Amino acid sequence: MSDTLPPVYGGKILHVHLDTGETETEAIAPEDARRFLGGNGFVAKQVAEHVPADADAFDPENVLAMAVGPMNATPFQSTSRGVLGFISPMTDGFFDSTFGGTLPQALKTTGFEVVVLHGRADEDSYVLVHEDGAEIKPADGLAGAETYETCQEIRDREGVGYDTHVLANGPAGENQVRYACLVHESEIREGVAGRGGSGAVLGSKNVKAIAVQGGEFEPEPAGGLRGRSVQQMGRLMADTEMLQEYGTAGLVNPINEMGKLGQRNMQTERADPDDAEAISGETLRDEYVTEDTTCANCAVKCGKHVSVESEGVTEAKIPEFESLFGTATLQEVYDIERVIKANDLCDRLGLDTISWGVTVAFARECRERGLLDDNDSPHLSFGDADGLVELARKTARREDFGDDLAEGSFRLAESLEEGAERYLYGAKGLEFAAHSARGLKGMSIGYATATRGGSHHDTRPTMQYDGHHDETTEGTPEFAARIQHFTALGDSLTQCRFVSEGGWGTEINESYTEAINLATGWELSVEDVERIGERIYNLERLINAARDVADRDADTLPHRVMNEPISDGPAEGMYCPPEELDAMLDTYYRFRGWNDNGHPTMDTVERLDLADVAAAVSE
Amino acid sequence: MEVELRFFATVREAVGKRTTRRAFDPGATVRDALADTETRVPELEGRLLADDGGVARGITVMRNGTNVTHYDGADTELADGDSLSITPPVTGG
Repeated sequence: MSDTLPPVYGGKILHVHLDTGETETEAIAPEDARRFLGGNGFVAKQVAEHVPADADAFDPENVLAMAVGPMNATPFQSTSRGVLGFISPMTDGFFDSTFGGTLPQALKTTGFEVVVLHGRADEDSYVLVHEDGAEIKPADGLAGAETYETCQEIRDREGVGYDTHVLANGPAGENQVRYACLVHESEIREGVAGRGGSGAVLGSKNVKAIAVQGGEFEPEPAGGLRGRSVQQMGRLMADTEMLQEYGTAGLVNPINEMGKLGQRNMQTERADPDDAEAISGETLRDEYVTEDTTCANCAVKCGKHVSVESEGVTEAKIPEFESLFGTATLQEVYDIERVIKANDLCDRLGLDTISWGVTVAFARECRERGLLDDNDSPHLSFGDADGLVELARKTARREDFGDDLAEGSFRLAESLEEGAERYLYGAKGLEFAAHSARGLKGMSIGYATATRGGSHHDTRPTMQYDGHHDETTEGTPEFAARIQHFTALGDSLTQCRFVSEGGWGTEINESYTEAINLATGWELSVEDVERIGERIYNLERLINAARDVADRDADTLPHRVMNEPISDGPAEGMYCPPEELDAMLDTYYRFRGWNDNGHPTMDTVERLDLADVAAAVSE
Repeated sequence: MEVELRFFATVREAVGKRTTRRAFDPGATVRDALADTETRVPELEGRLLADDGGVARGITVMRNGTNVTHYDGADTELADGDSLSITPPVTGG
């Protein structure tokens, strides 16, 4: 065990008490760096230690913790990513949500690896973090302001331009739309902490934005990290070619070819190729992209700006693949100019395009099935592009039926007649992302066991698209678990997933281990590094088990995924019947060292050196 | 027999069109189709097939929507009316 903290860490945690305005600094214990690494691991530990198991997501006792990783602001590529940790208003469980841009790198240079917001401010405020600590400032005149507008206004107030890096709430977060996101507008690209409702939690704390001004701290890797990173660049650039040219929107056509791209609230999973083409990365690049954008210290430049003259949209963030699923294919809307408009609006209002899109598609199917009607909303027809734009505005303001949409699809289903739940697409209260829960077996078990429910960043689909564990259950539960370790590790390094998977590997391996050792001076084995990911994932599970939101009953899939095979196309017949899921859960729990109800055993807790944190969780 | 070749992203850029139909002899394989494409599009030479004759790293090939890794890879036999989709690697978004 290390006795001192490696100088790649700034070494401090900043606690900000919003109700009193007081701040305090805590030193990061060397053994905690070794156990939890950074980012995801650090925020999970903060939530475990500070949020009582019976505190609601909107309770002032919930925290919003923001952390960076050990290699941020080092030559290790694409690590200007921040992680937010909190209890989610969607799942009532632990949630970590990541974002890119320039703010995370600026935070690293303050010397604070973690900033934790506690309590609730008395009046609308924003929090300014710098190397001397934090100030809580009045957010006068910012009520109702959109995200980009808020970033601009706070930059203007602080007077140093883009050297104030702002992560802002929009109207959706202020109104506690449960899946409200936070948006960071930097000089070189936008970053969105999209999922789980971080904006709603910040809104409940009366905080409009978190702003960061960089400091003088420079992380000092132990040695050799620059050379090792350069060595990886060739592969990294070769394997991210599609992202460089098309962004994630480049995935629309190939995944539609596989017949695994949900349409019409998942009634089918393949669009007419001409419809897919209309909203594809190829079309966006040919007709709408104006420039590439990038996070700090990243050569991939997967970000793009798009302009649509007819919609009055100029230099907007390109719709990501997941957003095209939520706002286009699930709605059967292939008018790309309206889709761009709706996405830009969601970014400005602060709406997670996945949860919002899936919720709207769910409502549209409920109308089709007679569970809702035009009196509820006149915009609930599949194919209604104009309705999307109108519903986004209403959701953010919680106006009319927008107030129902603001609760998310699971809560909306509970408010409708019995049977509505048959049309849900999500798990643990969070809507699924675009990667098919029926067409990819690894996603079936991955989503079912995910800490975050419907997240595609717990178990990843990437290897499945390459033909691994997409069509078989053999070895798939173990695969799903090990990829969950990989993503927990990656989000603790806070390296961009695209660069990780493209440049360094899709699983925990010798390359990551070598890089961590070069950064920290530790002498970890690959198995040690895998244990870090496993430890963090188990900690998340312990938090959620204590909150009674993670057990065998919760590790399930929606009705359609378990009972309705894909109806046509290349993946016709694929689904995950209950007995198949049950068998995979047995294997998954055994592999993890969890009991039959899906809870880590004491042996597992002790093997992973989690006994002290487990005790804090259960207090 | 006739096969529809469908191109995406940077592969499409190199080929210059979305789709094309090509005639192959009975018994032709995925390897034959990729080699034919490399021959007709010099920019793709060495990008679709690896030195050992397999599908190159950095390329995903689907026969009628199914990744050919589920068949016999580059040895997968083609049938009349098949579609073959050729794309850079598909990642997770």
